[in-house]
Amino acid sequence: MKRKVLMAFGLLAAFATILFCLALPGSQAQAKTYQIGTDVTYPPFEFANKNNKYVGIDIDIIKSIAKEEGFKVNVKPVGFNAAVQSVQSGQLDGIIAGMTITPERKDKFDFGTPYYKTGAVMAVKKGSDITSFKQLKGKKVALKTGTAAADYANSLKKKYGFKTVTFDDSDNIYQDVTTGNSVACFDDQPVLQYGIKHGLKLQIASKPANQGWYGFGVKKGTHKALIKKFNAGLKKIQANGTYDKIVGKYLGTANNSKVKGKTFTIGTDVTFPPFEFANKNNKYVGIDMDLIRAIANEQGFKVKIKALGFNAAVQAVESGQADGVIAGMSITNERKAQFDFSKPYFNSGVVMAVAQNSKIHKLSELRGKRVAVKTGTSGADYANSIKKKYGFKVVTFDDSNNMYADVSTGNSVACFEDHPVMQYAIKQGTKLKIVTKPALNAPYGFAVKKGHNQALLQAFNQGLADLKASGTYDSIKAKYLGADEIKTAAKTSGNDAEDRTFIGLIKQNKGALLSGLQETLWLTVVSIFFATIFGVLVGLMGVVPNKFSQGTSTTLIYLFRGMPLLVLALFIYTGIPSLTGQKIPAFVAGVVTLTFNEGAYIAAFVKGGIQAVDPGQMEASRSLGLPFGKAMRKVILPQGIRIMVPSFINQFIITLKDTSILSIIGLLELTQTGKIIIARNLEGFKVWTIVAAIYLIIITVLTWLSNWVQRRTKV
Amino acid sequence: MSEKVKVTNLVKTFGDNEVLKGINLTVQKNEVVVIIGPSGSGKSTLLRNLNKLEEPTSGSIVIDNVDIARNDVDINAVRENIGMVFQHFNLFKNLSVGENIMLAPVELKKQTKDKAAIQAKQLLKTVGLEEKFDATVQSLSGGQQQRVAIARALAMNPDIMLFDEPTSALDPEMVGDVLAVMKDLAKQGMTMVVVTHEMGFAKEVADRVVFVDDGQILEEGTPEQIFEHPKNERLQDFLNKILNV
Repeated sequence: MKRKVLMAFGLLAAFATILFCLALPGSQAQAKTYQIGTDVTYPPFEFANKNNKYVGIDIDIIKSIAKEEGFKVNVKPVGFNAAVQSVQSGQLDGIIAGMTITPERKDKFDFGTPYYKTGAVMAVKKGSDITSFKQLKGKKVALKTGTAAADYANSLKKKYGFKTVTFDDSDNIYQDVTTGNSVACFDDQPVLQYGIKHGLKLQIASKPANQGWYGFGVKKGTHKALIKKFNAGLKKIQANGTYDKIVGKYLGTANNSKVKGKTFTIGTDVTFPPFEFANKNNKYVGIDMDLIRAIANEQGFKVKIKALGFNAAVQAVESGQADGVIAGMSITNERKAQFDFSKPYFNSGVVMAVAQNSKIHKLSELRGKRVAVKTGTSGADYANSIKKKYGFKVVTFDDSNNMYADVSTGNSVACFEDHPVMQYAIKQGTKLKIVTKPALNAPYGFAVKKGHNQALLQAFNQGLADLKASGTYDSIKAKYLGADEIKTAAKTSGNDAEDRTFIGLIKQNKGALLSGLQETLWLTVVSIFFATIFGVLVGLMGVVPNKFSQGTSTTLIYLFRGMPLLVLALFIYTGIPSLTGQKIPAFVAGVVTLTFNEGAYIAAFVKGGIQAVDPGQMEASRSLGLPFGKAMRKVILPQGIRIMVPSFINQFIITLKDTSILSIIGLLELTQTGKIIIARNLEGFKVWTIVAAIYLIIITVLTWLSNWVQRRTKV
Repeated sequence: MSEKVKVTNLVKTFGDNEVLKGINLTVQKNEVVVIIGPSGSGKSTLLRNLNKLEEPTSGSIVIDNVDIARNDVDINAVRENIGMVFQHFNLFKNLSVGENIMLAPVELKKQTKDKAAIQAKQLLKTVGLEEKFDATVQSLSGGQQQRVAIARALAMNPDIMLFDEPTSALDPEMVGDVLAVMKDLAKQGMTMVVVTHEMGFAKEVADRVVFVDDGQILEEGTPEQIFEHPKNERLQDFLNKILNV
């Protein structure tokens, strides 16, 4: 039995050693790839999107440049401070993390060409009446460590008499303000803008100050080639439009300054569902309405909707009464003479619909049958144009409802209608189905008077592109047309935006949470394994009758037990490479940290456990002629271990919890995963509840397991 | 008769405290020497020096012509020939009765496991506990534990046995069984050094009684000399106290 346990232990040791050996060269083999550090979460510059992929302006820029210049990058979101330190210690080659170029930083870093202009602003809780720094007197202000905005705030601190609290993450400073702990926070303008646009309950309360530039940094005097490549690549992507595309994707373009804050009058039709119609609260809604409002919001202008009727709206634009028209207006060559059109935002066309149980699905099957149309529509025009060819009769109705009813009751076999209108009707419960593809393709466009309001037109195009990129466009369409046509698009964009329940959050982040949990468990198991070996060895050294060995043991315990785990982790991860010039993978650094820290505690109780065994036991063994080692192994340890078992269990549980501290060196374990998820969806309370529950479940299981082991070791 | 143990000028200090102040003592082969004296007089320390559970500060301890006080002596080999029985028995709590007795012979490769088991049973029989081979230590009474401890010490076939107040921690009704085992040992000619307060045992079994006080041997002689005609004043004092209780 004992031999079996020993063998299992040996196998585990061999296994872990092999893994380590495999892991080490593996991480060094990609030396050609540049290791770039970035912040954990600094939207819109870097953040994990809903697929848990890191995106953002910084990430896209460095990746585009790498592609352009033919090198590889491995972007590591280790956190701003960790990234700065890792670049300095040589763990990482470069940093791109919304890092403002300052004279102090220039002492330590070489920066590439500045790639983004920024400035520090103050933000306060939405609805707060604080509008100037003077109102901050005696109040608390939240800052993010090491940012230019924090420097700016600190420079104002004395003059305006406010207090500051610092956090490691942007989310934390925002939360501190929204919860009311702090009255204001300072951050970089684009970051705050982006956050507010995505639902942060803050408002910007000061003008950008201390304007500066973001730069890509490497350790001073190193990686000249990388900087050169970065600068060349940046030039290229700025010239070919990639840069603008990237920035536009996250923030909208700089053009919106032309329309920002202005109000435009937009004409539309009185009722043209699903594009525009009054809902039961008498508010104009519909695809056109939602779209123009979303674009206005995105681009920072305001709109005044005037439901004038289609013809009146067109004329109002021509006369300059209205600035633009959005009214399901097809882009035609005749209209282009008077109007400048945006890019098409919708493709319409005429479709044929039949009763739900009908077998008709082709125009050729209409021969000799009756078809319903509505007077004056393009559907009617289309039907009339083909009725000869396919030999069917046409009946006309004055309104859509009658036309639909005629088909569903079977008087007519089919009807012709504009595609979106038909889709909308079906979504609203009309018992028909669409059986043909849209004919007479007619793209809809937003129009302004020819040669006028070009800024508005441009803003519309940009906003449309942004909404398409973000998925808002698809969800607007899906809202009115059902999931029919845009099934897949609606699915991906619909889920994350809507479902913020616990179950929803777990479903969305299942993959991320599981891999975080896996990392936590793996880290725990490997660390416990090595910490136990280290701890038992050091503990035994403490009871061997040898002054040197006892001293070593005492010193090791004193050293590693006396150091905060956080400090030890940072020291090993960033300090050791500075001393030796040898990089350490974060995982190895994490395991080493826990091995020393938890090992020191284990050593202490191993030593204590042995010392707790009655000294008479050792005397009796020695008096029989047993050497010290044999007496230890056969008599003292078996009794000591029984004393130590509860402490071991306790220490294993602590180790599991302590892995969370390793998130500081960027290990993507459970806690770090939680942080990243919250950075995206701002659901702090719910996500932390989920993360806490996962820890509790694991610890409960571990406790059961330990109790079982404990029962087994008791004789 | 030949000299088995010869202690010369043995001094033992703990820090500033001189516990043994130059002891000279000889033990002949097959002799039973009983050491008596008040608490704290240094009797136990003297005994524990004889197998170097305490490191002598100065002086020599020659056992079978080897000075074990020297540092180049293989003390484990010396101890194999000197059995020791403790006041608090010190049976190994993680082992069964049989395993307690077998541990040293098997670990020190004196015997195979099977032979050791046969011997252990034999020894248990001589101390009257043959049915306790598989019992746990915790299930035994104090007297039984002490008899097992004697069996354990005998398992290495020592030619000297040291007893450090073997009955002091026992309930009175247990004392007789343990003393009986010790008497048998003495009859078989075992060389024994016994620290005890059992004056009856000393009178009956001892070849020689040694009175220790304040780290010195103040008087030694046959039981008759010591108990009937004590010369030393402090010995008379000591005997008065313990015999007239």
